[in-house]
Amino acid sequence: MNPARLSSIFAASIGAVVLSMAWTASAQIQTAEHAPDRAHGAVIAAQGTAAGAPACAQCHAFNGVADGSGASPRIAGQSAHYLAMQLQHFASGIRDNPLMSPVAKALAPNDIADVSAYYAAINAPFLPLPTPNPTLIIQGEKLAKVGNEARQIPACNNCHGPGGAGEPPAIPYLAGQYASYIALELQMWRRGFRKSSPEEMAPLSHRLTEEDIAAVAAYYQQVQGFVDSDASHRTPHVSDPR
Amino acid sequence: MVQRLKPVDVVTIGVGLTGSLAALELAKVGLKVVGLERGAPRYTVPDFQSPAIHDELRFSIRKGMMQDNTKVAVTFRNSSDQTALPIRRWESFLPGQGLGGSFVHWNGQSFRFQVADFIYKTHIEQRYGKKFLEACGAELTIQDWGVSYEELEPHFDRFEYLCGVSGKAGNIKGQIQPGGNPFEAPRSREYPNPPMKETYFGAIFRKGAENLGYHPYPQPSSNLSRPYTNPEGLKLQQCVFCGFCERYACEHFAKASPQTVILPALLNRSNYELRTNCEVLRINLDSTRTKATGVTYVDGSGAEYEQPAELVLITAFPLNNVRTLLLSGIGEPYDPKTGKGAVGRNYTYQTTGGATVFLDESTNVNPFMSSGAPGTMIDDFGGDNFDHSNLGFIGGQYVGAIMTGGRPIEFHPTPPGTPKWGLEWKRAVAQHYNHTILVQQHGTSTASRLNYLDLDPTYKDAWGQPLLRMTFDFPENDIRMSQYIADRVVEIGRAMGGKIVVRGGQRRPYTTTVYQSTHNCGGAIMGADPKTSVVNRYLQCWDVPNVFSLGASAFPQNGSYNYSVTIGALTYWALDAIKNKYVRAPGPLVHA
Amino acid sequence: MLPIASPAQEGGGHNDASSTPSTAADARAAQQPTYLFFNSEEATFIEAAIARLIPKDDRWGGALEAGVANYIDKQLAGAWGTGERLYRSGPWQPGTPSQGYQLSFTPAELYRTALAAINKALAQTPFAQMSADRQDKYLASLEQGGTDLGGVPSDVFFSHVWQSTLEGFFSDPVYGGNHNMISWRMIGFPGAYASYYELVDKHGIKIDRPPMSLAEDANGHLLMDPGIPASSP
Repeated sequence: MNPARLSSIFAASIGAVVLSMAWTASAQIQTAEHAPDRAHGAVIAAQGTAAGAPACAQCHAFNGVADGSGASPRIAGQSAHYLAMQLQHFASGIRDNPLMSPVAKALAPNDIADVSAYYAAINAPFLPLPTPNPTLIIQGEKLAKVGNEARQIPACNNCHGPGGAGEPPAIPYLAGQYASYIALELQMWRRGFRKSSPEEMAPLSHRLTEEDIAAVAAYYQQVQGFVDSDASHRTPHVSDPR
Repeated sequence: MVQRLKPVDVVTIGVGLTGSLAALELAKVGLKVVGLERGAPRYTVPDFQSPAIHDELRFSIRKGMMQDNTKVAVTFRNSSDQTALPIRRWESFLPGQGLGGSFVHWNGQSFRFQVADFIYKTHIEQRYGKKFLEACGAELTIQDWGVSYEELEPHFDRFEYLCGVSGKAGNIKGQIQPGGNPFEAPRSREYPNPPMKETYFGAIFRKGAENLGYHPYPQPSSNLSRPYTNPEGLKLQQCVFCGFCERYACEHFAKASPQTVILPALLNRSNYELRTNCEVLRINLDSTRTKATGVTYVDGSGAEYEQPAELVLITAFPLNNVRTLLLSGIGEPYDPKTGKGAVGRNYTYQTTGGATVFLDESTNVNPFMSSGAPGTMIDDFGGDNFDHSNLGFIGGQYVGAIMTGGRPIEFHPTPPGTPKWGLEWKRAVAQHYNHTILVQQHGTSTASRLNYLDLDPTYKDAWGQPLLRMTFDFPENDIRMSQYIADRVVEIGRAMGGKIVVRGGQRRPYTTTVYQSTHNCGGAIMGADPKTSVVNRYLQCWDVPNVFSLGASAFPQNGSYNYSVTIGALTYWALDAIKNKYVRAPGPLVHA
Repeated sequence: MLPIASPAQEGGGHNDASSTPSTAADARAAQQPTYLFFNSEEATFIEAAIARLIPKDDRWGGALEAGVANYIDKQLAGAWGTGERLYRSGPWQPGTPSQGYQLSFTPAELYRTALAAINKALAQTPFAQMSADRQDKYLASLEQGGTDLGGVPSDVFFSHVWQSTLEGFFSDPVYGGNHNMISWRMIGFPGAYASYYELVDKHGIKIDRPPMSLAEDANGHLLMDPGIPASSP
């Protein structure tokens, strides 16, 4: 086992070294030479690019909530890191998708950064949707919150955050995501078309039954209310409308 | 009023790593097995769940998963001329409690002991001579295990495949493998899973160590690098590097533990019964005192039971194994004055220490992106991997960058000269938190006739029974060894680009007030001679052949490595003998 | 090429881990807790002492602003104060440093006893009314030991206060300290929600999402879970 209090053991009884540096904001590793430009991202979302990428808004809407059918996912407020990663995966074929792959290939790396930053910053409302089967929701809630011991399925929320609010930057929110989109993606993992997160999501998708998939999808769609993204505003907030 | 229960074939005292593994093996051959666990039942679902499990105060600081020391503590002194006093708060070592035992909150650092470890005395005397060993310390009492690495190899292999250990082989059947540990004992095949992703601190260490000509390799891990189904048909997930592993349970089914790799295959067997919240008071012996008739235990309501059994397996934490033997009057307690008696003899621990390497502030170490076994390390100074001829000590330590989470109550390094509190302290913490690497030393603990375990004459547990008394300090040999390696670690720290490198290494006296290791060993050691060992090479008690004492209490001295995988292999080895020899013809498996 | 790092000029809002959003009401709530254990004299000393142990600076609040006094109060009023996980059978005998704590006081008894002795000794010039410099000297004298505080050696008391202060500053805000995750923002610790498989091999990246507490989700909302449905095998 690793000594967890090493710092206190090690720091003891050592000669003097004068601290010459006051605290400054940690230097950032510049992994991106390009600072994301949200305004340019908004132009791409609305008009597409000269290189042939269509306007994102055609399917995802200008505010990122799409049409609610689940044919296209809600992307408003999703982490920029995650959105950019998905576009890269569509371009490389890690996510094999006849609609999105050509779009992603037409976007330059800076375009991807800009449009991801644009949608990530949007605080969009939730569309009114029909209420799904309450029994299904409860079944989904169990899987989402505690998983299943017998089938060794961890709770979805262990990675996707409380109520599926996401663990940015790498892990997307599921709260308020459209049920048919969640279900479709789990099927894509099962069938091998979605090869991202191959070692977490793919094996889990095989352990879920058809009913499980429908249940978690139904559950997350109705967990809404993460509308206010102002981190300084801390009011108790009930996230589940039931 | 003691209630006498229906006899069973086997009872295990404790249901952790050894207790659950032994029960599964014996239940499979049709024996009726009862597992008595002093703690509560607990399972991944619903007991280990994010976010509640990611609570540093509750689990790391308040020791939420550890043995309830308000009921049973341990007393301690550095030497036999002192009065032992209770360790009133766990700090230095952390025995687990609850179903699964310490194998739930372990880190998953998964090594095999080396060939020389099992023939330690023979090896040292052959390589350096008897006089060399005497010169290292007349008090040293190292000895051979009575079992060889070659005999254990199939059991190591089996246990690694049970856990799904993720690593890179360094030696397959004598062929050195690139990327692995060239010093490791030969293994029959590759690890079941590839190594974990390399952390940044691991990569920085690797480059520094390589520049100095050492042999870095990825730490073998029982937090898994990919999804895996073990030979019992149980499924594990891939570790997500959450940084809450040591002292925590895993919510992801990603760490090997009884809950993930053993219990689901055991609990559904009709010939196994788990009883939790049951404190075993003693093993009962018949009038000849050479045969156990079963155990007496108290359940959560306070009711006392006698559970008759044909075979009693002591499968608790090593310290509790020794205490159970002493409370039951099995074997002769060790007397340090005369050197007679074996129970409690050769208690050993683990030498630790290490360097703190302060890096440039442009280097974001991100210590929180981590697992329990995230290290890159070298074995160039492990065990007897280097020539000790002119060094005046035996033993060694592995060295590695192994940071298990950067949780801030415990981890907030400041350079030497920083005040211990106040504004300058605060600024130094903010400045260095994400730009500091701990390089760990972890190694052998040499047995000494001065260090032992017995029953305390004064302090009692909640049931009125004596606490275990620990008398321990590191032999000077171990200090010389660790301090020699500390100098090498400083060189590595500089090669890593450390602006400030703070030297570490083991010091005396041993203190119970700072966490070091939970690798308590010995006290019921194995061997070939009943005068100097408590159990034979099959972990069977010399004095009472239907009692076996499984676990690290059997180690004659401690090796360089974290010990869980060696415990697992030794348990499989003993179970093999129990199933194939003892059950067919109960009686001593070795005649003294 | 991933826009993980949000440029500093875009600071504010929920993408900037280093921001310390706080309102006047927040500050008042942190500084004026409802004490369950401390009486007013005790609270005055503790508030003043922790403000010197971890002072505020021009960028980050200190222990007082982080609500550490509230944290210590709640700990002393609860299980830890009454001896949680403390072996409490006698006889009580002085030991060696390597044998650790050997007093019969629970943490609550220890604080109460030592604080009474300190406040009595400092009746003429209460600690809270000293200059910062004199406060530091007084704390250093406690730390050094040698003074008996009603049976509690002053260095033992100091180490309890310092350990509690560290805990209250760095632990999850659910325990009543680390208000607004101020210490986590200061050092860049992302908090309780953690899943870094995708990021661990992106060596050296700067994580600057805001930290997440046990009680909070990615959007900064308190987690109001009506109860986790449980099922055991």
